Amino acid sequence: MISFEFFAILGLSLVLYWLLPAQRARNLLLSAASLLFIWLLDHQSLVVVLALTLFSYGMGQAIYRLKRNSWVHVLGVIGILASLIFFKYLGFLAGLFDSLYIFLEALPRFSLHHLLLPLGLSYIAFKQISYLSDIKWKLVKPGSFADFLLYNSLFTIFLAGPIERFERLNPQFQSPRIPFKKADLELGSRRIVIGLFKKLVFADWLGFFISGIWNNPSQYHPGLALLAVFGYAFQIYLDFAGYSDIAIGASRLFGLRVMENFDRPYLATNISQFWRRWHISLSDFIRDYIFFPLSRLSSNKVWLLGFVPVIAMGLCGLWHGADSRYLIWGIWHGLGLSVYQIFQQLKRRLGKRKMLKFNAFFAAIAWPLTFMFVSLGWLSFRAFGLPMARHIFFSFEGLTLTLISFLLLIFLGRWLPAFLLDIGARIRWRPAFTLYLLLICLICYSALNTEFIYAAF
Amino acid sequence: MEAQLLEFIRDEFLDDPETEIDADTKLISGGFIDSFSLVSLQSYIEREFGKRIPAPRITAESFDTIKQMVQIIQQF
Repeated sequence: MISFEFFAILGLSLVLYWLLPAQRARNLLLSAASLLFIWLLDHQSLVVVLALTLFSYGMGQAIYRLKRNSWVHVLGVIGILASLIFFKYLGFLAGLFDSLYIFLEALPRFSLHHLLLPLGLSYIAFKQISYLSDIKWKLVKPGSFADFLLYNSLFTIFLAGPIERFERLNPQFQSPRIPFKKADLELGSRRIVIGLFKKLVFADWLGFFISGIWNNPSQYHPGLALLAVFGYAFQIYLDFAGYSDIAIGASRLFGLRVMENFDRPYLATNISQFWRRWHISLSDFIRDYIFFPLSRLSSNKVWLLGFVPVIAMGLCGLWHGADSRYLIWGIWHGLGLSVYQIFQQLKRRLGKRKMLKFNAFFAAIAWPLTFMFVSLGWLSFRAFGLPMARHIFFSFEGLTLTLISFLLLIFLGRWLPAFLLDIGARIRWRPAFTLYLLLICLICYSALNTEFIYAAF
Repeated sequence: MEAQLLEFIRDEFLDDPETEIDADTKLISGGFIDSFSLVSLQSYIEREFGKRIPAPRITAESFDTIKQMVQIIQQF
């Protein structure tokens, strides 16, 4: 994303876009620019994007025209998932088969390890599933093929989302003429620079300092290892929020409004709230297309409270990649949501009986507990998480420091979230800030340049 | 329909049933009801009013107040 290709295509297409008089022509230009961007990144990805777009558009038309369309909907979703499984998970499955073959020492071996995941596939797959489901539920019409192609390929949000809905983008594509506004250019460029700043200045340098500890935790004091866990929590947030800022800002330059992906997630006071603030476009997708349909299968409380969150979040974890660490991370969050919901139900019952006298206590631990829970979840998400966990929690020092940091967070929680919100509200942005930040970004760009973490998913 | 929804939400989802809510109270963004509660609400609406509201419509933007809920139910 922070590449010459991206910014060259962004600059050129932006000038031409605003010179064109009609939105139709602008959309065609954006589609051409997007396809060129994808082709420059990876030829295979372009073929997959075009094939999937054709397939899903055909399925969308069939769902829209047929009265009995449930089977087409199911077929369409299976087709999209099959492509995702083929490219994303077959290498993993083939690895399992390989191991089996070695064990049997009989059958000839085949290997699909080098099957490359087309860029942006995970995001397109979810966009297309939402497209087909929304047509099935009569929330949207299929639209024109040109608009659907632009929806799938739009280069500003292609690599790692936000997983925007057709329902929100298509009306903007169909507008007769998006008006040129200086404010859009200002806000868009500001968001891009803020995104670059988060990524290049904070996330990359934070990653640089903590990666040594993550790669070899036993060489460091457990206290430093614990700091590296918290550091990774901020690294992944700043990395992905930085990417999202660039994606949203770049879209805004074309006058397009794209949904927000983050809303101060580390200020959440419970895990359910965290998921309404973290990777919002993914959690909305999980909620609408996995959590709700799964919940409808049975009204049994054990199923609803115990299984549905764990299955939904387990799938959310697997969406990140065919790796047990993502699955464990998803299940960790699913269990968190499940326990939180059970606690809410108990609280409701106790509240009705006027027995709840622990509100002040729960209020005090809510923020630190949520932050610690999420931070510990990253232990599994990042590679080498197990040695790190063992190093921190299997030592007296590590456990003591964890407890101390929790108590410290309780103390900080009394004023820090409110203070941060207040600071955020007080900042009055000036155009010169954008230039200063850009200058710092340019200096940092030459020093460290790593890929966005979420672009790999 | 408004009164029926209000009664159901007050009885089923509020920590304190004496909390004052009305047809304009922001229930989702105000933190009164979460996704788990919305699943029950979706089933209740289907059972009582015979309307199945798709999940993408049950959001803080379009389903936040009881007035908005009634509007959405009438659309389906």
